[in-house]
Amino acid sequence: MSDPNKTFTVAVASGKGGTGKTLVAANLAVALARGGRDVVLVDCDVEAPNDHLFFQVEAQPRAVMVPLAQVDEDECTACGACRDACAYGAIRILGGRTLVFPELCHGCGACTLACPISAMGETSRRVGEVSSGRAVGVADFGELTLVSGSLDVGDVKAPDVIRAARSAAGTHEIAVLDAPPGVSCAAVASVNDADLLLLVTEPTPFGLHDLELAVRLGQELGVPSAVILNRAGSGTVDIEAWCAGEGVPVLARIPFMREIAECYADARLVADEVAECAQAIEAVADFVTRGGAVA
Amino acid sequence: MKTVVIASGKGGTGKTTLAAAFAHLAVADQREVVVADCDVEAANLPIALGASGVTCVAFGGASEAVIDPSICTVCGACANVCRFGAIGPSVSGNSVVYRVDPWACEGCGACTLVCPTDAATMRPKQAGEACSGSTKIGPIVYGNLRPGEDLSGKLVTEVRERAKDLAEETDDTLLIIDGPPGIGCPVIAAITNTDHLVGVTEPTASGLHDLDRLVRLARKLDVPVSAVLNKADLSAGGAERLRTYCQSQDIPLLGEVPFDAELASLLGGMAEGRGFPLRGEGDDSPGIAAVRNIWEQAQAVIGG
Repeated sequence: MSDPNKTFTVAVASGKGGTGKTLVAANLAVALARGGRDVVLVDCDVEAPNDHLFFQVEAQPRAVMVPLAQVDEDECTACGACRDACAYGAIRILGGRTLVFPELCHGCGACTLACPISAMGETSRRVGEVSSGRAVGVADFGELTLVSGSLDVGDVKAPDVIRAARSAAGTHEIAVLDAPPGVSCAAVASVNDADLLLLVTEPTPFGLHDLELAVRLGQELGVPSAVILNRAGSGTVDIEAWCAGEGVPVLARIPFMREIAECYADARLVADEVAECAQAIEAVADFVTRGGAVA
Repeated sequence: MKTVVIASGKGGTGKTTLAAAFAHLAVADQREVVVADCDVEAANLPIALGASGVTCVAFGGASEAVIDPSICTVCGACANVCRFGAIGPSVSGNSVVYRVDPWACEGCGACTLVCPTDAATMRPKQAGEACSGSTKIGPIVYGNLRPGEDLSGKLVTEVRERAKDLAEETDDTLLIIDGPPGIGCPVIAAITNTDHLVGVTEPTASGLHDLDRLVRLARKLDVPVSAVLNKADLSAGGAERLRTYCQSQDIPLLGEVPFDAELASLLGGMAEGRGFPLRGEGDDSPGIAAVRNIWEQAQAVIGG
């Protein structure tokens, strides 16, 4: 955190779903904000956004729009140049008419460039929404802003909603990004350009398999990784030995406790109620405030 | 053939556990079974079912832009038309060149349309691989998406096509799909044109919120939905909210599975080649008994 004008961005991610990303992201953001930092928590899991369940936020959702090819039917000669230029198969010529399939259109503008008579233009369409506001509640959350992206049901433009959410977050001292599971374009849109990748995993063969994918993704993107072991003590796989072999630090262990699961189930902040979880989150917060340097 | 997809919206609710259990129980009921793991970003069903004899073929289709610096005139036309911020100038030695960021390039080719010297061209890239193998319960098909690729939906479709080719076309054949988390592109590809969707949820605020989004998607796609409440005893209030939700939405609740460490360790056991314990085989923890009852309920809604 050397540059005071730049947000220090921490992405909480995992290959496997349901390992505890949201638990870590929400509790970490609160711990950092209560420690006097100006923090924004950005929910980038726009297909299944859950951070807003933990906070009350007065937020006005704003629509996320993407460009969409639009034919001027009066001008169009159905020559097919736009169809040939479209890499996504989103344009077809049927019955002498040019048809655009919105769900396939990437809004790249190639068809507009290819049309010889300027009959192909653009409109825009809604793919999701982004809400942004200060997090308030019964407890004091400090200087905490929540930005939440939500993909419209039935739409496929998750990366566009993620980029809109990250851009709506603006500049803060620390940004905590709650990333989606997996390693696809949506995961990359969420963790690209982050300063630090916090990977939450569990000690099962599945946790290890998917952690390895996530660590490789971090390496390819040039973002350093650190691991938080959730449900420690529940499985048979030695995640810590694997991490030691890879040179990835394990920052904290959140024990496998029914109490933690019960507390999370009711959308309460686990670190406020379970001492073992509070210690783990504190250790991660320390690591983040040191700019990701091992003490 | 009937196709059932196990999905959840929220990750980590127990999709793979249920898919693996259904596969074992269906085989015990003398059904022909083919399984497909459509979570091509993190395929876990091959681990859960101990897949062997796996062969994979490259899955391509997409392309990416590349700029030849020897003929690039550094005019910047490509960067101006790129909607994805994938092209920009960078310093190489003491000259400036335009480079494509492969992580950001969506392969649209707009840059090739405006480049005056044809320095920007498209080249094919591999998006991942589609794999098939065998397991104790029958053939398995799954995919491995290369990190950062945006063709997860197309790879899911490829996995489903291959699984369908392997499935005997008899009424009795059951294709079990382990779906990806979320409700986006790969989920749409995994559940479109299936006969039934089993939504696995948990009594958490997140579980309910994400199940609701999945149900709305399934209804848009006209796929019948039922639900399974996993880790049901974690929150009495949360479980009650899920039951009320299912009732209000006319979603059959196939059953509830208690928080059960034995069920979790059984998943590890299946990976090592053990089967799912059948009725009367002993070993009956509450979770295992519940899953078996859920399979019986599921058969009624899936049919075949």
